[in-house]
Amino acid sequence: QTKLLLFPLSSSCSASFHSSGETQIVSEQAIQREETMLQCIFLLSDSGEVMLEKQLTGNRVDRSICVWFWDQLLSHGDSFKQQPVIASPTHYLFQVVREGITFLACTQVEMPPLMAIEFLCRVADVLSDYLEGLNEDVIKDNFIIVYELLDEMMDNGHPLTTEPNILREMIAPPNIVSKMLSVVTGNSSNVSETLPGATSSCVPWRTTDIKYANNEVYVDLVEEMDAIINRDGILVKCEVFGEVQVNSHITGVPDLALSFVNPSVLDDVRFHPCVRYRPWESYQILSFVPPDGQFKLMSYRFRVRKLKSIPLYVKPQITSDGGSSRISVMVGIRNDPGKAIDSISVQFQLPSCVSSTDLTANHGVVNVLSNKVPTYVRSYEVVLKLILLSYCV
Amino acid sequence: MFPQFGATADTLSKASTIMFRIGTDAHLYDDPEDVNIAPLLDSKFDSEKCEALKRLLALIAQGFDVSNFFPQVVKNVASHSLEVKKLVYLYLLHYAQKRPNEALLSINSFQKDLGDTNPLVRAWALRTMAGIRLHAIAPLVLVAVGKCARDPSVYVRKCAASALPKLHDLRLQEHSSTIEEIVGTLLTDNSPAVVGATAAAFSSVCPNNYSLIGKNYKRLCTILPDVEEWGQIVLIGILLRYVIARHGLVKQSMMFHLHSKEHSSSENDDSDADSKFGKEGIDPSKKYDSELASMIYRCYIEGPDDYLSRSSYSNKVFLTFSGAKFTSSKNNEDVKILLQCTSPLFWSNNSAVVLAAAGVHWIMAPKENIERIVKPLLFLLRSSRNSNYVVLCNIQVFAKAMPYLFASHFENFFILSTDSYQTKALKLEILCTISTDSSIASILKEFQDYIRDPDRRFAADTVAAIGLCALQLPKMASTCLEGLLALTRQDSFTSDARASEEEAGVLVQAIMSIKMIVKQDPPSHEKVIVQLVRNLDSIKVPAARAIIIWMLGEYSKVGEIIPKMLITVLKYIAWSFTSESSETKLQTLNTVAKILSNSKGGDLETLTKIGCYVLELAECDMNYVVRGRGCFFRKLLSSHLGSKKLEDEVVASSQNEGLLNVLAEHMFHEQATQQSPVPVNYRVYLPGSLSQIVLHAAPGYEPLPKPCTILDDADAEAEVSEQDGSDSFTGSLDEESGSYNGSDNSVASGGNTDNGKTGSSSEDENIQDPLIQISDENHLRPAGSADLEELMSRRDLETWLDDQPSLPNSSIPEQSKVPRSARISIKDIGKRVIPKTYELLDPANGNGMKVDYTFSSEVSTISPHVITIQASFENCSSETISNIVLKHEDFTTKPSDSSESSSQDDVPALIPMEEITSLEPGQATRETIHVRFHHHLLPLKLVIYFNGKSHPVKLRPDIGYFVKPLPMDVDAFKDKESHLPGMFECTRSCIFKGHVDYLNKEKGNHTFAKDKFLVVCESIALTMLSNANIFLVSVDMPIAAKHDDASGLCLRFSSEILSNSAPCLITITAEGICSEPLNVVVKVNCEETVFGLNLLNRIVNSLS
Repeated sequence: QTKLLLFPLSSSCSASFHSSGETQIVSEQAIQREETMLQCIFLLSDSGEVMLEKQLTGNRVDRSICVWFWDQLLSHGDSFKQQPVIASPTHYLFQVVREGITFLACTQVEMPPLMAIEFLCRVADVLSDYLEGLNEDVIKDNFIIVYELLDEMMDNGHPLTTEPNILREMIAPPNIVSKMLSVVTGNSSNVSETLPGATSSCVPWRTTDIKYANNEVYVDLVEEMDAIINRDGILVKCEVFGEVQVNSHITGVPDLALSFVNPSVLDDVRFHPCVRYRPWESYQILSFVPPDGQFKLMSYRFRVRKLKSIPLYVKPQITSDGGSSRISVMVGIRNDPGKAIDSISVQFQLPSCVSSTDLTANHGVVNVLSNKVPTYVRSYEVVLKLILLSYCV
Repeated sequence: MFPQFGATADTLSKASTIMFRIGTDAHLYDDPEDVNIAPLLDSKFDSEKCEALKRLLALIAQGFDVSNFFPQVVKNVASHSLEVKKLVYLYLLHYAQKRPNEALLSINSFQKDLGDTNPLVRAWALRTMAGIRLHAIAPLVLVAVGKCARDPSVYVRKCAASALPKLHDLRLQEHSSTIEEIVGTLLTDNSPAVVGATAAAFSSVCPNNYSLIGKNYKRLCTILPDVEEWGQIVLIGILLRYVIARHGLVKQSMMFHLHSKEHSSSENDDSDADSKFGKEGIDPSKKYDSELASMIYRCYIEGPDDYLSRSSYSNKVFLTFSGAKFTSSKNNEDVKILLQCTSPLFWSNNSAVVLAAAGVHWIMAPKENIERIVKPLLFLLRSSRNSNYVVLCNIQVFAKAMPYLFASHFENFFILSTDSYQTKALKLEILCTISTDSSIASILKEFQDYIRDPDRRFAADTVAAIGLCALQLPKMASTCLEGLLALTRQDSFTSDARASEEEAGVLVQAIMSIKMIVKQDPPSHEKVIVQLVRNLDSIKVPAARAIIIWMLGEYSKVGEIIPKMLITVLKYIAWSFTSESSETKLQTLNTVAKILSNSKGGDLETLTKIGCYVLELAECDMNYVVRGRGCFFRKLLSSHLGSKKLEDEVVASSQNEGLLNVLAEHMFHEQATQQSPVPVNYRVYLPGSLSQIVLHAAPGYEPLPKPCTILDDADAEAEVSEQDGSDSFTGSLDEESGSYNGSDNSVASGGNTDNGKTGSSSEDENIQDPLIQISDENHLRPAGSADLEELMSRRDLETWLDDQPSLPNSSIPEQSKVPRSARISIKDIGKRVIPKTYELLDPANGNGMKVDYTFSSEVSTISPHVITIQASFENCSSETISNIVLKHEDFTTKPSDSSESSSQDDVPALIPMEEITSLEPGQATRETIHVRFHHHLLPLKLVIYFNGKSHPVKLRPDIGYFVKPLPMDVDAFKDKESHLPGMFECTRSCIFKGHVDYLNKEKGNHTFAKDKFLVVCESIALTMLSNANIFLVSVDMPIAAKHDDASGLCLRFSSEILSNSAPCLITITAEGICSEPLNVVVKVNCEETVFGLNLLNRIVNSLS
């Protein structure tokens, strides 16, 4: 199974605006600085509403910081949205935006910014894993679980338990059974009564007593290729990023080893904590005790040096006469790779002066995602997304 | 909401989620208050309790205050259901600090839970107990933590470790040693998970207690790869600091390499460096690099604020490191093991860990191994979009110091369509830094595509980057110029049709880049200038035209072609003069004047005609600046211009003439080629730190420890002899540094001679103008120790020039960067300060008793929390008033309460005042009272007793007297100010009218006894000093500006907060005309942000 992405596709999220006439409230209590890392985490919906706040230290952060943040966001637009570290008048803010939900963390003291960002990403991962996707409703519906998770993941501004497997054992994810139970009996607890055994073992990512009838391990290689092609159609840069995704269902505490035929092609590697460094250093063998279920074992990167071209070609053609112009984009397979390539999507942005579009495709579906720019009444910023489904040559 | 194309799909999906919401807590979040919560909390059933608690949490999540349920919630802490417990804990942690008394009720239950058999219960109890942060129970928590630190469960021990910082936050001096002891025990724990949590505790509890690390150093290193990722980040930092403090920097490392490079280059500097560059052809940019690199190195050790401020006073008093402070990575086991154990972390999945490990290798690894960090760092760029920017910020610093590290990986910094603007700008900058002869071709090709980017701001940045690349690689200059020229042509066509602002920005940037490149080597780029000038007709953007015209004047004598075409071009610009914008007009005038003063020979007559024509046009211009410039040039160039017409005047002013010629010569002929390279004052912070991203030292930022500042306890005995050795070393080191300064005398003496010049010139001017005294900086008053009274009694006006009064050798006004300013000190103002009087008791309400009070500038000796107040009691009635006494309200009503408050802070709200036995009618008396306000905004309720009756009164605090003067000089002020940027700074503006009345009065008298400026300065200073207890540091006034334009007037005041002696700096900048109300901007820099803000409001109120 090969997934091929031509360009990193960004999910362009449409922000809806709301005006807030609130003035900033300055807390009157004297600020006493503490030597803790993160002070507070806010979850904001895509309309700027504070859905949740979790104070992590005794030094509480007022909600007014979110009002400030949202005002800045409205006045600065997208470039602010992509700024991971923001220095507000009173706090340093870290933001991570996932599927419209803004995760905002505040601190007042020096701390590694990547740590905060990485942590917020981890929170987002865990939440979307627990709630099967992220959106405003799902967070509000399960706010108790979100609270419990945040409380367990961070203690006094320092991450405590972030391993998804342990979290799952401590706080049960919502599922159909528990939902039905709670409807019928009005009583269900998602808090585990005992401490997961894994917290005390030397492999904290795996619980000890797992039993399966069939022992099986699935390994998927998912590769992404980033390429930059210049105007003349010449390949400027081409890199392949790969992930080894493993789905393991094995009884007990297995110790696995995985080796590559030709590990020397890999430029860089990054491992799940379960991979032992020594065997890789000496023999390039992945030796690990796997977590249970789905996880990302490693990711790697290598630069494609020999490849002259990528398997696909994209040829844009632009002709213009007077007020209207024609764009035609041709997408096809260059050298027959011996396999069908499916689910090709092409995404491009039209300049802001374009007022209307009429798009067709000879295969697949065309989607126009519009983004109304509030200052210009008639102009639309149009993102054309042309999806050719099951396109085979 | 805006209509969206996928609206139907949206509603469908929403409808389906409603189905899924059944059975979740959705209804609790949507309608938390649709049932009465209180009875549910008291219910017998756990499920009902749970529901109530969930509703409370929902309210908390939505930002409501539900602390009034606190007592009822606390009761449930004893519940056996773990779920109820967890929910109660969540609630407790949120509100405990607000309701400390009720929170104490939960302690018993915690203590019981700590003995529970379930480790989860123990851990939760400990976490919550420490998390509610009450001073009263701190000893109990400490005992509990000590117990849990020996718990069999790893999880509980981990929680014990993370409870330590919570205890530390309470600032209990008497327990700190116990806390550190527990940190020590937990650091030796067998479980890596516990060690990780303890590392976090260590860094917040006792980051400088290196002996704890020293004892376990090797074990900590070996355990490092097994520690959980978050702990790794902190632990890496701790180990790095320890190794540097213990062993110093590594000899083979990049740091030492930069350091030694800097030494050799500084030697070069001593001998005249310019000639050397000329001979050996050293690329000046390379020198710049090494300078920057050595700066990076010093910033890491000293912190950039220290370093930059130091370098601003005294140029070259470097910290000298003798060889003894360096160690070798090959011989030193500790360094070796650290590098060994951090290198597998490059494979970590957590980008923060990778960056932290890269930081260690950057600082400690031998130079030849540093390349190891490159690939992992580049891989990080791929990890997530959010961390991308942070990683790039760090790579930027690395690349600046060692461009060759990343040179071969330039492709990784090519821009992706999904990058944010900030990321794009950073990537451009990195690409510029790392471009080499081999890579520049492809980079430039890539740049050509970027110029077409729809984001024109980014396109302009790209154009600037092309210019920078050309500067760095002189070989590419002509290629770059060609590209840029093509751009100006192409853009000029589009700008005809629709000259949007952004497009203009790109064009201006392109021409600025051309100017920059041409400046490097004008003769070889002659044709470029010619082409630009030819394009003048089609380029419409004023700023771009101005630059081209400037270049024409600057390089009018360069090469063959330009002098020939000069007259034609001049005719053209003279013809188009009237239609130009004023910016272009000014440059046209400059150019004409330059060419005129340079020209000799045949064309002179034509040139003079053109010159006269342009000057005449200028003098009739609508814009006064253009008019003024025109008049000025006519005067200056009178010898060149109308020597025939003004012949009679020439005789009279022949002396003047000579002077003018010299002046003109100076202004136009000396091309400012010897511009010193841009001073390197980037702020560099440790790799991976927050400060590096926000570019100011975040609170709590610590640079690396000074190398070799500790000696390990464990090794101390073994190293006694070595210690002796090192002692003698430090002695010799001091001597060495002394001799280093001595050898550096040339620089210092240079500074002295400069000062001498200032002194002599000041004497000259003294004779001319006795009012303004220009003094050498050495004559400055000893500001630090100066007595306020003494300073204020001096009634003279001291002024000294800030800059050296050298001739304006910067040829064009455009190049003069800093507006010159003079500094005045007003000393006589102290006597005229009249503090405001407030009324405490009105005679109408108080049976004829009148009590007024003023805040005193004296600082109370009793306690820093106490404010001194002068109260005057006056008897306005016709009868004698006896037994007057002032007391605190609580003193009588609630004695218990006051005792409690005193236990908190040991100072009563009102120091008891002596009773005034009797006051005759009309008699008045003054008393000094000492008051401790609870808050700087809230009034204090007092009671006055006399004649056996009580009268409640309110004493309103004045935040201006919660500070005391902090004498300092301007440099110290600026230094302090630079330490308090960003969030510590607040500004507000207002209109100041205080001086207008006075000036109007003066006008009536027709006696301008005082300079308007002085009146303005004095009235602002007086208003400030009458309203707050502060110290006037300096008064800066602009001297370049027009006669009564007060813009740029700047007053600085300093003070420190009484209670915690945090400095509080006030800067007032005025703008406007002296005789009219001024627009005043007040800026307060203070660590206590809330206090600063309130003080600012107070000042603004009193000024306007």
